[in-house]
Amino acid sequence: MSDVVRTVLDVISIVAFVVGALLALVASVAMHRFTSTRSRMHATTKPATLGVSLCALGAVLQLSDASDITKVAVVVVLQLVTAPLAAHMFGRSVGGK
Amino acid sequence: MTTVENVVLAVLALAAITTVWRIVRRSTLGDRAVAFDLLTAIITCALLVSAARIDDGLPLDLAVMLGLLGFLTAVTVARFIESREGEEQ
Repeated sequence: MSDVVRTVLDVISIVAFVVGALLALVASVAMHRFTSTRSRMHATTKPATLGVSLCALGAVLQLSDASDITKVAVVVVLQLVTAPLAAHMFGRSVGGK
Repeated sequence: MTTVENVVLAVLALAAITTVWRIVRRSTLGDRAVAFDLLTAIITCALLVSAARIDDGLPLDLAVMLGLLGFLTAVTVARFIESREGEEQ
């Protein structure tokens, strides 16, 4: 792979990592700023899913082994499938609070 | 590249500390469960970043395991809260 392509991939990976980490930080600050359990769920579940997806994008561009990239795909699919299910269960259990 | 990943890991650590503070501070069981769900997502992010940092698959195995465990914990706690409120009424 040429140096130019490598550099471009590195930059994309860095941007994905930084944005993903900042989204996680925003979600954790929102845990304190919002007033009810349901609004906290709204503020935390979406940035967390997007943050994991962006960190996975950054990791895929850095990893060299094909099996590692497959594992990253498994992690993302797991997060995308389970996060709405868990949020639904929480939303049902906390009621109108 | 390693420097950037160290900075990103530091930001994620800050986010994790903020979330743990939320869990430790006086709050309801539902709030704690939501915060725990967020904490597993933050740790998954950190594992993905450290996998890229050392270019190795070991943290990814942990991330898969953490995803499954976090989901099972969330569902179990949600069902517990629901059943407890059903008994009170």
